[in-house]
Amino acid sequence: MQSRFQRLSGYGALLIALALVGGLYTAFLAPQGRAEDNPSTQQSANIAKGRELYLQGCSTCHGLGLQGGAGGPSLIGVGESAVIFQVESGRMPLKYGTVEAPRKKTKYTLDQIDQLAAFIGSHGGGPTMPKTGLDDGDLQQGGELFRTNCASCHNFAGKGGALSYGQYAPDLSDASARVIWGAMQSGPENMPRFSDNQLTPQEKKSITRYVEFITKSPQPGGAALGRYGPVPEGLVMWLVGITALVGVTLWIGARA
Amino acid sequence: MSDEKSIRDRLRSPADTSEANSGGDSRGSDVTESSFQQTDSAAVLAASGHDEEQRGTPHIPVGQAGHARHEQLSEREARRAERKVAGLFMLSVVGVIGFVVTFFAAPFKFAEPNNIWFTPLLAIFMALALTGIGAGAVLWAKTLMTDEEAVQDRYDFASPEDARTAAGQAFVEGFEASGLPRRKLLRNTLLLGAGSLAILPLPFLLDLGPYAHKERLFRTTAWKKGVRLVRRNGTPIRLGDLALGALETVYPDVPGGVFMPDTPTMLIRMEPSQLTPRTGREDWSIEGHIAYSVICTHLGCPVKLYEQQTHHLFCPCHQSTFDASNGAKVVFGPAARSLPQLALALDDEGYFIAQGDYSEPVGPSFWERS
Repeated sequence: MQSRFQRLSGYGALLIALALVGGLYTAFLAPQGRAEDNPSTQQSANIAKGRELYLQGCSTCHGLGLQGGAGGPSLIGVGESAVIFQVESGRMPLKYGTVEAPRKKTKYTLDQIDQLAAFIGSHGGGPTMPKTGLDDGDLQQGGELFRTNCASCHNFAGKGGALSYGQYAPDLSDASARVIWGAMQSGPENMPRFSDNQLTPQEKKSITRYVEFITKSPQPGGAALGRYGPVPEGLVMWLVGITALVGVTLWIGARA
Repeated sequence: MSDEKSIRDRLRSPADTSEANSGGDSRGSDVTESSFQQTDSAAVLAASGHDEEQRGTPHIPVGQAGHARHEQLSEREARRAERKVAGLFMLSVVGVIGFVVTFFAAPFKFAEPNNIWFTPLLAIFMALALTGIGAGAVLWAKTLMTDEEAVQDRYDFASPEDARTAAGQAFVEGFEASGLPRRKLLRNTLLLGAGSLAILPLPFLLDLGPYAHKERLFRTTAWKKGVRLVRRNGTPIRLGDLALGALETVYPDVPGGVFMPDTPTMLIRMEPSQLTPRTGREDWSIEGHIAYSVICTHLGCPVKLYEQQTHHLFCPCHQSTFDASNGAKVVFGPAARSLPQLALALDDEGYFIAQGDYSEPVGPSFWERS
């Protein structure tokens, strides 16, 4: 008995020592961030968590096996980028069917979105985006590419515009870098898809930087009037400015 | 009483009042007419060399027709008005000080978001500075200055008679001195030279006629058999570069092809099963890749708003909508013809090339187009 206890206590001591060393290693020496810790373990944990989230929030429409179903298309092969675009911009989960899914408040945290994307991305592959440096591009190149590829629908100031039969290209003002990447890579709804062979990742980075520049840079001139350019500016000038001038003229001409 | 009279009334001189209208209401049109007649007749008289004294109607001396507007303004009211005007002038001083302080105390840096008030503050202070001076001056004139209205006759339009005679003589003498009446050769060659100038614009008119279309300028573009499709940065496009549902704007791989107005083309990829090519154009598309001109057949706007699910090509100018999966036929809007299609092929290296020029002239209709 005693020897058995001794043996067990020896195991216990070894276990405690191991735990201590492991804890110290984790606390002081392990590289920051869990993803680098053990990528494959992290990935499978993400996929498992993503599966739970998927079964709760998405499977009603998209089916238990991502095969699609009542009201929802198949998600096999859509890729992580499509999930990041749809969920981070709040378009999914869809409230009700309309001509086009509108941007809403995001329902999931960024971690949860990554888990969902990992789960759906594990079914049939599909496009993925880099983890960091999404807007690490060249501003001038981004401007040229934006005007060639994006501005015809999204407006030269990224304000969006009308399409046929009630559809529209959305305003880009609130789009994050991940959402911009997700849209370009997955081609949601009626937006054309821009594969990495068509617009290289470097070109996508430039476009993202340009979109963030035109939508989020400060407005030193005061009211930007939506940045639509000379049309609203001229309208304000005529309606407000000329009206004020007519008032002043009347005052000058009136008798004291 | 005098404040309620119209300007037209006050244009009248005191001398007019008795003869023009004996009634209290002096706004009859005859008064105004007489004052205009006065000016006209003065011009006539001046032209015929009469003196001022001989003019028919009485002349209104400058300054005598005025009425002091604020005779009844009491000293207290005047003081108050003066303080108001002075206050406005001081406001402009405040504006100038505020402008300078804002400019130097809060220097502008573009990227700092807390500086959004810099430009608006400068504008507000500058407006104060300018409005203070201007409004003060107007208020000053309206309240404190005596308000007089005066009539000044027009100048006579014609020059004096002797000056006109002298000018005419100078012209005649100059003509004689130039020798033109005597030197026939000089006259004739001058006429010939000036007349030949009339031929100068004729070549421009010729451009409007059939001569210009011998080159088929409107009917052909730079697309030729075997020309590669390139992106704006000049790189060619291989089969497989485009994902399903992709749109790429392409140009001919010829010198300056990216900048030509009539060559921009959309290369679209969709499921081959979704394509219904027109008869005779079955081999114009490759594995779901199909190419159309960007230029709208209505008024020439770029039709680049492609919806990858409905395959609609939407023109932002007048909402013409074309069906890219069905030969770019018009499904909605004012366009009358489908978009011209470019026949595609692949070269030996797997890059897209054109089989030839467009199926029909690009862009809006023109007169000679059949």
